Formats: sequence, structure tokens, C-alpha cells
Amino acid sequence: MLKRALAIISLLLIGYWIAQGLAGVPFGQDRMLVAQYYLDHVKEQTGAVNAVTAIVVNYRGFDTLGEVTVLFIASTGVGALLWRRKKQRTAKTEGSIVLTTGTRLLVPFVMLFGAYIFIHGHLTPGGGFPGGATIATAFLLLYMAFTAYEIPHKAFEKTEGAVGMAYVLVGLIGLAIGGYFLYDWIWQDWGFGVDNIGRLLSGGFIPIIYTIIGLKVGTELSGIIDNMLKEEVSE
Amino acid sequence: MNALAAIGEALVLIGTFFYLLSALGLIRMPDVYNRMQTSTKSATLGSLGVMVGVGIWALGTDFGSAAWLTKTVVIAIFLLLTNPISAHALIRAAYKSGIPLWEGSVVDKYREHLEGKEKAPEETPKEGGEE
Repeated sequence: MLKRALAIISLLLIGYWIAQGLAGVPFGQDRMLVAQYYLDHVKEQTGAVNAVTAIVVNYRGFDTLGEVTVLFIASTGVGALLWRRKKQRTAKTEGSIVLTTGTRLLVPFVMLFGAYIFIHGHLTPGGGFPGGATIATAFLLLYMAFTAYEIPHKAFEKTEGAVGMAYVLVGLIGLAIGGYFLYDWIWQDWGFGVDNIGRLLSGGFIPIIYTIIGLKVGTELSGIIDNMLKEEVSE
Repeated sequence: MNALAAIGEALVLIGTFFYLLSALGLIRMPDVYNRMQTSTKSATLGSLGVMVGVGIWALGTDFGSAAWLTKTVVIAIFLLLTNPISAHALIRAAYKSGIPLWEGSVVDKYREHLEGKEKAPEETPKEGGEE
């Protein structure tokens, strides 16, 4: 009781302190400095109409590379923590016939939608991370509905490594051509898709990088699901 | 205000009314199974009404286009396919984890079926890969 009261009081104090800090922030006023620059120049500098993905991939691509690295480390860490010699699915009951049939029907559509999200990252809200998570959801559905389902490990791990390398490689090509890491050579030098900003074939290297990220996030999250659902079997 | 916008508004109104009924059913019904029965059905129907209504409504306005209707219809079909499956899985999981029926229930054929299967496991044919 005393512990709980102390926790509530300290949380209230922290909340009051943060609210005091936020009270000084002028909401509803135009105080944009960097953001105004992004909004004004995003079309001619990156070719994307979605300013968020242009910032995430193009202006501040290094952060995204860091995030992808964090996900990779998380997946590897889960794999290392749950490493056992013999691991199997130990699910006891198959999903009901409604669930299995529904999953069979829905999984292709879920995957299609995930691919749609990451391919259209420069046009619509979303991008590589939501698209990859949607694809991992499709695999989670398969894992939940079927007792015997397992992802094809060899192919998945190879894809994961290859697309991770591809991201760095895209950055290194930019370094070689333009002089700095993750330089958008497709837009800046080739001017590919200048005439159709707002359509699919534009946006410089944002669709390429988002395809890479989508595949990477999808395979990684599926791998984490796979690791966590398996249990050790004693022989 | 033209006919399309009016139809869309009416559909959205019907949809929200069914949302209200679904929320009311959650409070009003006595046990899990009845609550699921009322809430899933009317929430699915309400969502369909709202979504398709928004699509048709957008056709009637001067800023809307056919893209709205296409998107909303796709979402509505997805919801129509997934919502019953999730409701089925939830109910089944609730029954398997031993949540009792309402005390006023009189018939529980599924329990009889399960018990009959326990008594003679090799005689009853396997049904749908369950257990």
C-alpha cells in the first residue's frame, strides 16, 4: 500500500514536471525551421511526395540504417538466447477448420498488402517497417493456424543477410558516386522519374531501399516468431 | 447535396446505429457467448455500412473520386472475411478454456459430442482436424 502510494505520488510529480515543461511549447504557432525546409524542398530534392519517408530514408538515412541494425541485433539476440540443439513446434491442436481455411485464403492477400505498403513508401503512408511487419503477420497467421508449419529457414536467413548487405551496398554506391554515404544517385544524377513525381516510378532510391527494408523486417520478425514458438524436445 | 451523398449519409447513419447496438449488447448480455454474438454481428454490419457509405458519400461530393469507393470496398470485403473468423476463434478458445455458459442455457451439444468422443475415441470419425 505504501509502495503503491509512493509510486503514484512520484508519477504525479513527474507528470506535473513534464506538463510544466510542455506548457512553454507554443502549440498552433508556425515555428518550423528545419521542417519548413523539408516541406518546401522535398519534391525537387528527393522526388517523393511522402515527406516522412523522404526524411527517414533520404535526408536522415543513417538513422534508418541504425534502426535496421537494431532489429537485426534483436533478432540475433532472440536467436542466441533461445538457442537449443533440438527445437520443435510443440503445438498440440491444429486450428479449427474455419481458421485453417480462412488462413489459407487470407495469407496471400496479407502478403500482397505488405508488399504494396513497402513498394508505395514514397507515395502513401507506411514504408518498409509497416510493410515488413504486415508480411511477418502473414507468417504469424500460418504459425497460429497450423501445427506443423515452419518457415523455410535456409532461404529466410540468406534473404535477411543479403538484403542487409544490399542496403549498405546502396549506401556505398552513393559514397562512390556522390561523395557521401547514402547519396541518392538515382535522383540527383540520373534524374530518374522527374516527369512523374507522385506516381510509382519516382522517388529516387526510396522505393528500392524500402523494398530492401521491407524484406529485411519481414524475414527478421518471422524469424523471431519462429524462435519464440519453438520449444525444446527431450529425447 | 445530391442523391449519392444522401445515400452515403444514410448508410453511415445506419452503420453507426448498429455500432451503438453492438456496444449496448456488450453491456446488456449475460455471458461471453451472447456478448460475442451480439457484438460481432452488429459491429461487422455497422462497419460495412459506414465504409461503403463513406465511399458512396465521397462520390457525391465535388472533391471525392472513385478511388474512395474502391478503397472502402476493398477494406469492407477484408473485414467481412476476417471478422467472422476471429469471432469463431475467440469463441472456440473461450469454450476450450472452460468458460461456462449462461445459467439459463439448456442445450450444450458440443460438450455431449466431446464426451462421446472421449468414451469411444476410435469409433467417432475425426472432424476437421480438431484434437
